[in-house]
Amino acid sequence: MISKQNRVRILGGVYTKFQKSLPKSIREVTFEVFKEALKDAGIQKEDIDGLYVTPPGLAGPPSFMHACELIEYLGLSTKTLSMIECGGCTSAIAMRAAAEDILSGRINTACVIALDWRAADIPEDFEYFLKYAVLMQTCLYGVYDAPYGIGAPIPYYAMSAQRYMYEFNVPYEKIANVAVVLRKHAERNPLAEYRTSITVEDVKSSRELSPPLRLLDCSPFSSGAGCIIFGKDDGKKDGVYITGCGEFHHSSHFINSAESITRFISVRKAAQQAYELSGKKPQELDVAEIYGVFTATELMILEGLGLAEEGKAWVGFEDGSWTYGGKTVVDPSGGRLSLGHPAAVTPLAEMVEVYGHLSEKWGERNVKNAKTGLVHAEHGMLNGGIVFILERD
Amino acid sequence: MELSEIIKSYTQKALEHYGDSATKKFYEFLSNKEFKTTKCKKCEKPFFPPRPFCPHCLGEDIEWVDMPKKGKLYAFTQQERSLRFGKPDVIGIVELEGIGKILTRINAPFESLKIGMELHLDFIDVGGLILHQFTP
Repeated sequence: MISKQNRVRILGGVYTKFQKSLPKSIREVTFEVFKEALKDAGIQKEDIDGLYVTPPGLAGPPSFMHACELIEYLGLSTKTLSMIECGGCTSAIAMRAAAEDILSGRINTACVIALDWRAADIPEDFEYFLKYAVLMQTCLYGVYDAPYGIGAPIPYYAMSAQRYMYEFNVPYEKIANVAVVLRKHAERNPLAEYRTSITVEDVKSSRELSPPLRLLDCSPFSSGAGCIIFGKDDGKKDGVYITGCGEFHHSSHFINSAESITRFISVRKAAQQAYELSGKKPQELDVAEIYGVFTATELMILEGLGLAEEGKAWVGFEDGSWTYGGKTVVDPSGGRLSLGHPAAVTPLAEMVEVYGHLSEKWGERNVKNAKTGLVHAEHGMLNGGIVFILERD
Repeated sequence: MELSEIIKSYTQKALEHYGDSATKKFYEFLSNKEFKTTKCKKCEKPFFPPRPFCPHCLGEDIEWVDMPKKGKLYAFTQQERSLRFGKPDVIGIVELEGIGKILTRINAPFESLKIGMELHLDFIDVGGLILHQFTP
């Protein structure tokens, strides 16, 4: 297992600018990130002996041979090959599998490619679209929830946000401020989708989608891609390593019938295991990228990770703790809200982002003296989660 | 095909394709204004969503039992856009004793609701399908 004693080295990685649609075709974008990641890692294509990819987006029919045709397209021959899917955790699970295949000795150098194309325009054939939409919503949200018109996870998260405000007496302004701080981070990141400064007033007056959530409380449906390359721990200094990984999946999907929808077992357990295996404590984190698809959720994740007490994570967004110059820079990329959220890519982009700060790749916007970082991903409504600890040696 | 007809027929297709025999029975009961779920005879525990097997012991000795006709409002929201309902439409999570929390429609204006309210079971015909909903 990935741990302090069994580290995996991050050799290089890139992610594209996130935007509404992919600028080129799936294959073309895949090739671009692949080539750039190889360059960033300073290795040759022939060095890669494991390839891990993710399903190419919700916009289009699924393919169970996506990995198989990509390996031909990219001109690779490898010892491991797979396409991996796990809802929002998709590329995180792909990265964990890639890293642990290296630790098992099966491969030496793993390449993980993620791509997502989410914001599809409604096709001209509305009848076809409607048929597809009905089937899709039932497939995603199940036969007991879909009939209530669920078309996106927003209403579930809205109810979680409502309970959070109710259980911990957190006023909406404190939650809205999360979007303001993350947008400030995005202002520094040329890869972010939304970079125009906003205020709490802007959030409060943005269109209400599913109360209490408003447009600016929510991450956009974005498209983008990324590629990250892992290698063995060769003991070389001045490298960035994954030194711990925790993971937990609860037997629930979206609404947790028996448990809380504001305090999440999966976040706590995944974080606990990651801290144990890496020997690190939450207070030691210099930078963190977390899967907060909504403002209120960002707060609940920080609390589950042990960075703040229950109901108190908002304080760090007001007193500077979670931004540059503070205790832990949370989502320097701009986060899901402002960087953009091509769900299948998000965990991989989070890892590339944190890797960048630990290896000082981001220039002006680099977090200073970043030695320890955390990456978090989830699926459903935090029913499952995975946490990685990254360290600079 | 008319759009409402498409929604009706594809909803049925989807329930069949993505559900199981328990799904079929659940919606059949609802069409008779019965709100039931499955219970494992061995574990003596009802569970939701219903299944033709017990998720605790995987046993298949299952029976159908009534779910409570009253519940407490745990959380609620309104959907800006939703297939099958006009907007705005209130959905919520209701806590049912002995069962847990389930998603349902709340038949009341959003502004009139408060977490903790006692609600009672009701039904709504959405065209080709009867769903459970809860009313103050």
